[in-house]
Amino acid sequence: MLRFALTRILMALPTLLIVAVSVFVLIRLIPGDPAQLMLGDLADPASLADLRGRLGLDKSLPVQFGIWFGNLLHGDLGQSISSQQAVLPLILQRFWISAQIVLVAVLLAVLVAVPAGVIAAWRQNSSLDLGLVGLATLLLSIPTFWLGLLLLLFFGLKLEWLPVVGYVSISEDATRGILYLVMPIMTLFLHEIGVLLRMARASTLEVLRLDYITHARAKGLSEGAVLWRHAFKNAFGPTWTLIGLVLGNLLGGIAVVETVFTIPGLGRLLVDSIFARDYPVIQGCLLFVAFTYVVVNLVIDLCYPIFDPRVTAQ
Amino acid sequence: MNRILASAFALALSAGTFQVHAVQAQTLTAVLNADMRSSNPGVNRDDNTDTVVLHIVEGLVGYDEGGSVGPLLAEKVDLSQDGKTYTFTLRKGVKFHNGAELTSADVLWSWTRYMDPKTDWRCLGDLDGRNGLKVVSATAPDANTFVMELNAPNALFLDTLARTDCGGTAIIHKDSVKADGSWDKPIGTGPFKLGEWKRGQSIQLLAYEGYVSPKGATRDGMLGSKRPLVKEARFMVIPDAATVKAGLMAGSLDIASVPEIDAAELKAHPKLNVVTGTNPVRHGMIIQTRDPVLKNVKLRQAIAASIDFPELVANVTNNLGQPNNSPIYMTSKYFGEAEKQGFKYDPALAKKLLQEAGYKGEKITILANKRSTAPSFNTAVIAQQMMQAVGINADIEVLEWATQLDRYNKGNYQMEAFSYSGRFDPALGFEQISGPKDKQPRKVWEDPEALALIDKSMVVADVTERQKIFDDLHKRFIEQVPTIFTHNDVDIVAHSKRVSGVKPWMSKLRLWEVGVAN
Repeated sequence: MLRFALTRILMALPTLLIVAVSVFVLIRLIPGDPAQLMLGDLADPASLADLRGRLGLDKSLPVQFGIWFGNLLHGDLGQSISSQQAVLPLILQRFWISAQIVLVAVLLAVLVAVPAGVIAAWRQNSSLDLGLVGLATLLLSIPTFWLGLLLLLFFGLKLEWLPVVGYVSISEDATRGILYLVMPIMTLFLHEIGVLLRMARASTLEVLRLDYITHARAKGLSEGAVLWRHAFKNAFGPTWTLIGLVLGNLLGGIAVVETVFTIPGLGRLLVDSIFARDYPVIQGCLLFVAFTYVVVNLVIDLCYPIFDPRVTAQ
Repeated sequence: MNRILASAFALALSAGTFQVHAVQAQTLTAVLNADMRSSNPGVNRDDNTDTVVLHIVEGLVGYDEGGSVGPLLAEKVDLSQDGKTYTFTLRKGVKFHNGAELTSADVLWSWTRYMDPKTDWRCLGDLDGRNGLKVVSATAPDANTFVMELNAPNALFLDTLARTDCGGTAIIHKDSVKADGSWDKPIGTGPFKLGEWKRGQSIQLLAYEGYVSPKGATRDGMLGSKRPLVKEARFMVIPDAATVKAGLMAGSLDIASVPEIDAAELKAHPKLNVVTGTNPVRHGMIIQTRDPVLKNVKLRQAIAASIDFPELVANVTNNLGQPNNSPIYMTSKYFGEAEKQGFKYDPALAKKLLQEAGYKGEKITILANKRSTAPSFNTAVIAQQMMQAVGINADIEVLEWATQLDRYNKGNYQMEAFSYSGRFDPALGFEQISGPKDKQPRKVWEDPEALALIDKSMVVADVTERQKIFDDLHKRFIEQVPTIFTHNDVDIVAHSKRVSGVKPWMSKLRLWEVGVAN
């Protein structure tokens, strides 16, 4: 298992290197730079040249990359051009905020969507199945920003149960912190239910048609035992993979949800940095997102044998 | 059981909500659409930074409501006969947030710091001789007097010191920087002290109880009465306009600038008020006068004649703005009868001018962006339709703002729906758009005679003489059409009815002299 994990991590290194080079080059291919944005419509050539020099943007691209990559190897992602903060602590601080929302939302979605998907498959073509599939399709079709605004209008404005804007850290004030997170979590939770329910249903349906399920039923096993012991464990693999992809994707940025609910998470940091051409933060964020994706999927792969003994780390 | 659980959940939520509202009732909550860049006045800054920082720090001089410069930390400013020496007499009894009394030594220390290139002060180049104006000496002959000598008389010297993007050339206490000279936090003399700054979330300002306000019974721009009327003010960082709207309606937010499209709905809300005011930001379309097609002045005049400005401005501003084709903003004291004479909407004339220009249907591309803070895209769309109506082959290319700004700086465009940041003095407003394109490709107007007049307006101090210069410049501008200004920006501020004293001013939210009823 350890060898497998190490191999996978080593295999991820070229991926991260490609990401590092691509991000560095691509962001500099886009017109505009931080110096221009900082000076706005007052950017006379002398001031621009002066500021670019101070930001190190006057150096050649290979030199800039060399400096950045050298620092990266020492675990230093540089300093934000906009806020002058060190990039790595900034990313970790923002990531923790996003991760709270994503992990809780996905966990809740799994707890609801997977059993619902299995039941829908078990009762295929019944009104329950149609209702669940219809609901999943509806939730999947609603854009998250609109769903967020609907929740905000209903729970924030109409019922006045939840705060509409702002963010309080749970470590600072647990009750208020949770209240501020309810609607962002609910938005993601509802959206991901749609994704996971459909996958759980489809993979369970596939398994329920196999001969060994018929055999299990013929042995006289109860439906519960057939579903849980024989169908679910074999059908969960694809859903588990999807959970990994969903987690990797969401942990990389939920900028829209964070913008609607004024949550200072990683997604908003990335989007703001792109608009401000804050190169060190953009590079740091994207590299971190790629790293997160790799780690999450590694963890997912390592967990496969728990659900399906046919799959081993070897 | 389910009912009990539901009730318990609702009770818990209600308790939490009550707590949120209880905390907010003691606080004035305003909105920024992005976080401030730093707390360092005039250094690492943008408009949001200036808005916040100018609650904390003050300079020797500041702008009044009409954009004229007056004494702020100074009691008075005396100018020598030769127009080169300024003597600032400081107000007595003014104290920094750390309790230390303001003296001329603090002014000299602040000035020396600004003039050190290591500080990265934004306005260094405007005062060290690079752009003509140079402060040749700064001295503090006694504890209450500060003297600055210039290389030559300059009508814009005080204006430069007062500029908000220069951080008002704020006088700060030397403990604002760390032992190694790096920035720590602003210890100023303003009505509020900097409290907790949660990056990306909020900035807390605490009332400075030892604040000594400038003279005046009422608020007057950055001058006049500046008392903090609340114990705590908080700027929340909320980039999304829909969330701001919801926050205002829910009572979570007290004051916010809102887009034109939301003004009517918020005004109709029983708990909210909406107030508006014109500011010096100028919206319009810049034209590349060196473009092979647009270098023809008759074609530029045809474009100007094709646009129905009242119609365009009414649509772009939701009937809140008024047309103004002049580079001088409408509430300036220099905006007179001459400046009211703008472009005339005349489609027949436009068609005639197109013929005279020999226009053969060449494509003219208008660059635009979709920033929520500027009417670029809407202006481009409406202008395109009006131009097409007289036979101009107008096209729109939508860019992200940073990309459009890059094209502007390089002069790489035909037309851009663009907005110029506010400048109070018309000389600076003209200077913003004018200059030799060989040296500065971003400049749009390079008529040598106009440039000479602008230079003259920067030296002449007499108001009547300056008015004549600006009238002349305006007339030339309308004739040559290097840019088509459509209107000045409209500040639209929505606020809770429990808040009193809100007045929009030059795109800056001011929280002093603003009260809140619990």
